[in-house]
Amino acid sequence: MTSGIDAELAGMFRDEATERLDQMDTTLLAVESGAAGAEVADGLFRHVHTVKGAASLLGFDDIRIVAHAVEDVLAEVRTAAVFPPQLAAPLIRATAVLRAQVAGVDEPFHNLLADLAASRSALPAGREAQQPPAGPPPSREAPRGEAPVNEAPDGEAPDHEAAAPRTGRRTLRVPAEKIDRLLDAVGEVMQYQGQLIHTLGGQHQLPPGVADVMDGGERMLTELKDTAIGMRTLPLSVISRRLPVAVRDMARQAGKDVGFAVHGADTELDRVILETLHDPLAHLLSNAVIHGIEPAAERAQAGKPARGRLEVRAVPHGSLVEIVVADDGRGVSADVLEQARRGSGLTGVLTRAGYSTAAEVTDLAGRGVGLDAVSSYVRSLGGSLDVRSEPGRGMEVVLLLPLALAILEVLLFERGAAVYGVPLSAVEEVVVITRTMTLDGRPSVDLRGQPLPVADAAALIGAAAPPLPGEPPALVISADGRRAVATCDAVLGQRETVVKPLGPLFGGTGGYLGASILGDGRIALLIEPAVLTRGPRHTLMPSALPSEEPAAAPRILVVEDSFTVRELQRSILEAGGYPVTTARDGRDALSMLHRDPGIALVVTDLDMPELSGLELTRAIRADPARSSLPVVIVTSNGSEDDRRRGIEAGADAYMAKHAFDQHTLLATVERLVGR
Amino acid sequence: MSVYVCLRVAAEAYAVPVGDVREVLEAVPVTAVPRALPEILGVRNLRGQILPVASLALILGRQVTAPSALLLVAESGGLQAGFAIDEVTGVGELSGPTGPAESPMLTGAVLAGGELVGFIDMARVFGSLARSP
Repeated sequence: MTSGIDAELAGMFRDEATERLDQMDTTLLAVESGAAGAEVADGLFRHVHTVKGAASLLGFDDIRIVAHAVEDVLAEVRTAAVFPPQLAAPLIRATAVLRAQVAGVDEPFHNLLADLAASRSALPAGREAQQPPAGPPPSREAPRGEAPVNEAPDGEAPDHEAAAPRTGRRTLRVPAEKIDRLLDAVGEVMQYQGQLIHTLGGQHQLPPGVADVMDGGERMLTELKDTAIGMRTLPLSVISRRLPVAVRDMARQAGKDVGFAVHGADTELDRVILETLHDPLAHLLSNAVIHGIEPAAERAQAGKPARGRLEVRAVPHGSLVEIVVADDGRGVSADVLEQARRGSGLTGVLTRAGYSTAAEVTDLAGRGVGLDAVSSYVRSLGGSLDVRSEPGRGMEVVLLLPLALAILEVLLFERGAAVYGVPLSAVEEVVVITRTMTLDGRPSVDLRGQPLPVADAAALIGAAAPPLPGEPPALVISADGRRAVATCDAVLGQRETVVKPLGPLFGGTGGYLGASILGDGRIALLIEPAVLTRGPRHTLMPSALPSEEPAAAPRILVVEDSFTVRELQRSILEAGGYPVTTARDGRDALSMLHRDPGIALVVTDLDMPELSGLELTRAIRADPARSSLPVVIVTSNGSEDDRRRGIEAGADAYMAKHAFDQHTLLATVERLVGR
Repeated sequence: MSVYVCLRVAAEAYAVPVGDVREVLEAVPVTAVPRALPEILGVRNLRGQILPVASLALILGRQVTAPSALLLVAESGGLQAGFAIDEVTGVGELSGPTGPAESPMLTGAVLAGGELVGFIDMARVFGSLARSP
């Protein structure tokens, strides 16, 4: 797979195969629950057959072998005309393996092949009499698990019946980058439009003829923008299709009975958001299954139905989308609620960094663990997170996300000669502050009988600015379940603006959604609304003075592909006083190491896409500049053999995930970085 | 022998491989980004794109004496940024470092034209800027 065409083909195969596997899962879940029977075998067979055909064409042998074994089971179901529900489980496992293989992960599958073959004994007698290698009529050969002998790939692969019909389907597959480029270009044109109007002296000073032409151009530009945004949005179902299987697995593992539903799966969201939303969403669901929904006995006692209810609801609200994860479990404890009443509200308590008791941290999905991570993820997109809960009645986590990332409605304001923007969705109103009072030692204003904290926007952002005049204008901001008032020099008005990323050099700075270039060429920094509701920062002079030692504190790099585990490790290490950087896989980690010479220790998972923990360790050891960098491997494989391989690759310590607790991790890290 | 852009910052002479240099611009006021690293002066608008601007003097551990006149736009490892410098003294061939240098941002130094020229390693410079404040 080196040439560009092959890479493009492989990419298209990945997209299509994943889509088909998702559809198979939905159907198989219906079979498992008894809602569907043998009549769906044909459809399933077609999907897996198409995947198999394309895989053999592209030379993905492992995929072809697994797909073939699935075909064999389905062919027999078809002939037997019954689909026993217990056949669904091994088939769902097979789609999971196929999905991993399609994503390029080497999945061991020989046990699976044996299980698939064995599962066929669930089919009516008579079939059983035939030994598996004899093969039933529709399938042409034995489900051996080894490479099938008789198959002639070229004759069989490009299946005409199964390949999506090429005519009559008004859909076009376009690489996402092309659409991104289109949207970028539309954004640039909008920027030029803004500059043009500015140069001509503003909208109201144009000669009538010119104004009409400009208006027409602007209308078309708006339409072009909406169309381009529409091309970049995809329905939530792209990721939610996989959730039922995930929830079913989690519920089984936790020994809970959970009914799961997704409402509003056709709600559209920015592709970039969808690509990153799956992990946080799965994390919220796992929290709900493990900690929210009670065991059956406890539910019976509380007078609730035995089956817990868990749902994801997506509702569009103009330029925003609301995604709610709701369960009818035990909710937060009365204790937490009391804390919330006294302090910063429920959302504030639960999203406080590292919020969790020690007892919960040892548990992979502690109630609060990771909620701060989900919240900062949502904030980084310019959205907000809200939690509602009543003890004993369940919990709702509400994510408010922008529909499109590249173009944002902002309110622009001026403070200390700089212009800032904040998403309009977070601004409740603009007021003028005539008098302030002090509440709990903090300045507050009375907003129609409600006291709200008030602070200078410059202090909130951390900027240097001369004092404000008396009676300054101010924005009433609502974010993360908190409301606050930020004062400024002037409010410039609302603007639909193109969001430009600040870039990786500001990756560690936080608090910014990006920047926007104004009509006059000036730059406005776009501020995360939560920055304005969090309270003033107690630091910071103008940045030109090298006030601190630029040498950074030793940092720990956590390498882990699972969002949950990664955030858990981060919170443990940060609570232990170590600054933490994270990477999603070995490759990501290597580029991070290259960029950041201050990393003093690496904590890595073993099984990861792209580059595994062993390969990463070897790469570190082989690099003369980093050969002595301490590496700790944390993995779910606790066997002696794995430990030996880890140590041989050059790891300094090796910990099994099941034996893993925060004290061991911190003690190991302390020993290695010698604090 | 390789080709370098030779420049002056904080009264000292340095060289950057010509392949790492995109362009040299006149310095204009930047938009400060509060809470960023002390060496990062802010961002500026470069033909409709956001360009981070950093102080090369501070990165090299020097004092900033006067506002810089020029901006050297450099690229390494897919990252791009502008670096405030005082003067470009020329573009030409140098023999490469012959002796060690003090700053970790330099690969070494060479005596050329009667003064010590430090060789700037752009990958290390960008690496130092990628850390958290």
